[in-house]
Amino acid sequence: MRDAIVIGSGISGMVTAIKLAEAGVHVLLASPFPSERSQSVMAAGGINAVMSRHEEGDSVSAHIEDTLKGGCYLAGEEAVKGLCESAEEIIEYLEGIGVVFSVDEAGRPARRAVGGHSYRRTCYCGSSTGKQIVSALVMEARRLEAAGLIKRALGKCFHSALIKDGVCYGALFFDEAFGNISAEYTDVVVVATGGQNALFGKTTGSTQCDGYTAGELFMQGVELKNLEFVQFHPTTIETSQKRMLVSEAARGEGGRLFYMDNGERVYFMEEKYGPKGNLMPRDIVSREIYSAGKDVFLDVSFLKDSDIESRLPEVRDLCKKYIGIDIAKEPIPVAPSVHFFMGGIAVHKNHETNIRDLFAVGECASMYHGANRLGGNSLLAAVHSGMIAAREIAGRDTKEDRPDFSSAAEEANRMLDKMKDTKSVFPVMYIRDMASETMNKSMGIIRSEESINEGIKDIDYYLSVAERLSYDNSVLPYFNYSLTGILTLARAALSCAESRKESRGAHYRSDHPDTLDDYAAATVISYENGQYKVRFDKENEYES
Amino acid sequence: MKVRILRQQTPFSEPYWEVFDADVSGDTSVAGLLNYLNYHDDIVDENGRQTTRIGWECSCLQGMCGSCAMVINDVPRLACDTFVRDLGNEISIRPLQKFPVIHDLLTDRSSIYENLKKQNVYIEKYQPDTIKNRKKAEKEHQHQYDAAKCLKCGLCLEVCPNYVNGQSFFGAVFANDCYLVSSRNSEKKAEIKKLYGEHFGSTCSKSLSCMDVCPMNIPTIASMAKLNK
Repeated sequence: MRDAIVIGSGISGMVTAIKLAEAGVHVLLASPFPSERSQSVMAAGGINAVMSRHEEGDSVSAHIEDTLKGGCYLAGEEAVKGLCESAEEIIEYLEGIGVVFSVDEAGRPARRAVGGHSYRRTCYCGSSTGKQIVSALVMEARRLEAAGLIKRALGKCFHSALIKDGVCYGALFFDEAFGNISAEYTDVVVVATGGQNALFGKTTGSTQCDGYTAGELFMQGVELKNLEFVQFHPTTIETSQKRMLVSEAARGEGGRLFYMDNGERVYFMEEKYGPKGNLMPRDIVSREIYSAGKDVFLDVSFLKDSDIESRLPEVRDLCKKYIGIDIAKEPIPVAPSVHFFMGGIAVHKNHETNIRDLFAVGECASMYHGANRLGGNSLLAAVHSGMIAAREIAGRDTKEDRPDFSSAAEEANRMLDKMKDTKSVFPVMYIRDMASETMNKSMGIIRSEESINEGIKDIDYYLSVAERLSYDNSVLPYFNYSLTGILTLARAALSCAESRKESRGAHYRSDHPDTLDDYAAATVISYENGQYKVRFDKENEYES
Repeated sequence: MKVRILRQQTPFSEPYWEVFDADVSGDTSVAGLLNYLNYHDDIVDENGRQTTRIGWECSCLQGMCGSCAMVINDVPRLACDTFVRDLGNEISIRPLQKFPVIHDLLTDRSSIYENLKKQNVYIEKYQPDTIKNRKKAEKEHQHQYDAAKCLKCGLCLEVCPNYVNGQSFFGAVFANDCYLVSSRNSEKKAEIKKLYGEHFGSTCSKSLSCMDVCPMNIPTIASMAKLNK
């Protein structure tokens, strides 16, 4: 293997690039922004691993079972086994490159309890695990940049993949500095572009993760999977600019959820699920908060000030700054918000898509989390998926022939010029806002045939408008050309939700509240001539 | 309130001030204010003249990524982390001036990364100092955690009286990464201290303004104390 392009420079993209470079592959690490701006820096809670010095009773098989159970047995058993078995090695790798883990008395990564896990197995770095991992990976990538193996290309926005006869040969990028689209040819493309936040507007995540790459690739023939499974984080706070996450660590450290009834506190999670009720999986906690129909609060004020200071400093600062609440004295008003996408690009166990030499890693790929993700498994999957993809790619042959895609780049630039020439100031962001309003209504915590069909009608309308829209030439061309891809992804997600006529994990249908054996398989969706075709992967073709 | 924004259409065009009227609550952040100006209605200046949308960048919108660094009322700050309630009735916003402007409030901060890359500032392999004193070890660990939170936002460079354009003096962002490398890999200590001296220690006039504006409250003075030893 001679060279590769990795699109996206968060944790999964960087791990892929680093591991490829270490195997001697030349990597173009392309992203609009530096890694410090990626959503990975926001991951707060931690990273799971059953280490050789595990809590009594814990085992790798218990981590596997918790992950499969949390995902309602929709994730591939083999893939999850690989994920959990590699966890200790991953922690050792991260420790080795200098990640500043919170440590125990022996100086090794300390562990905390996180929702959905039977044992205390989540390693962490204060309340900023993602940021600390990013900082160490940036240094590792820097080492390989200095060695000439990784080349960072900033200001590059993905446009489309170069695909011919089911094989990927590179990608088109819009270059912010030059204002045009150009082709980059390569042996392998790895997509590491994160979740699909833009579909839902204000979420807990980054504004940069818009799902466009998945939507565009879908239109180019790449299959997507499990799009109906959208995780709502139960504890977020409302601010003027976005929803902000109160880390699961707050409940891990003993935080209690309650609402007020006739002047009395009702600890509804503990009443219904016992002493560990506050640490139930995110879908259950989110639905319980939603169903309570009252203002819900999270209380950590009974913790010692020194514990809040040492274990939850970021939560303390966040609440003080954005909502003026001192968590050592007052409870935090919380509500669920879109947080993570279990669905995404369908990949095989080696993280290759249905297009040869096109891979996907991290949150944009759907693999380990089934119908719901456990806290601490996303950072683990981000690192693991990058390692798996890199291992597979490094062993591949260099491409002998590369078809000429110059006409694709010319056509893309012609379309771009046409957009730039329009005089309209109609903001594409308005359509994105309307679409996200639709998605929140149609694909919220509780869905129904009716809400989903309303959503499909709306999104189909926006798609028809998008095709005829005069574009806004005072924003980056990327925002204009990405609209159709984002709307198409929204439409695909609605189709998946419509097809799954049952409730499972994060997908709850009020008209089909039971979990049914008939649907015990991943949803796979493809796009053919404008048609959205959904099937259930009962043969486990993506488990191989 | 009046909002004055220093605009610049392209990297090569002349900058100019444009004034907008805005009516937002005090709890709105400057990021929220920019979104309001761009999208609450057609964008017009204070005289009602149609203008172009204001270019700026954001990602996390909660002070964790450093995208939205700019100069607000003459102080380098993060837009998502600065609230209208603290800014009075006239707000001025301009791009960071120590970096080339790409468009409006967007700047090219790649020199930060280039300097760290050119000087080989990376840990490579975690080899901690053996500190027997537990309290001292904990303090050091906290310092490393704080240093690794650096956003590479460039605010410390914008405010620094010694930093010009990153040709030879690399500023606090460099010093803190140097500290992190030297404290996490004892084998690199000597090499890193030398680089630190050349590109920071020998020039820094210790105004410590970098610490005043750091959104992560990184104790740069403690990094300096360690590297000056």
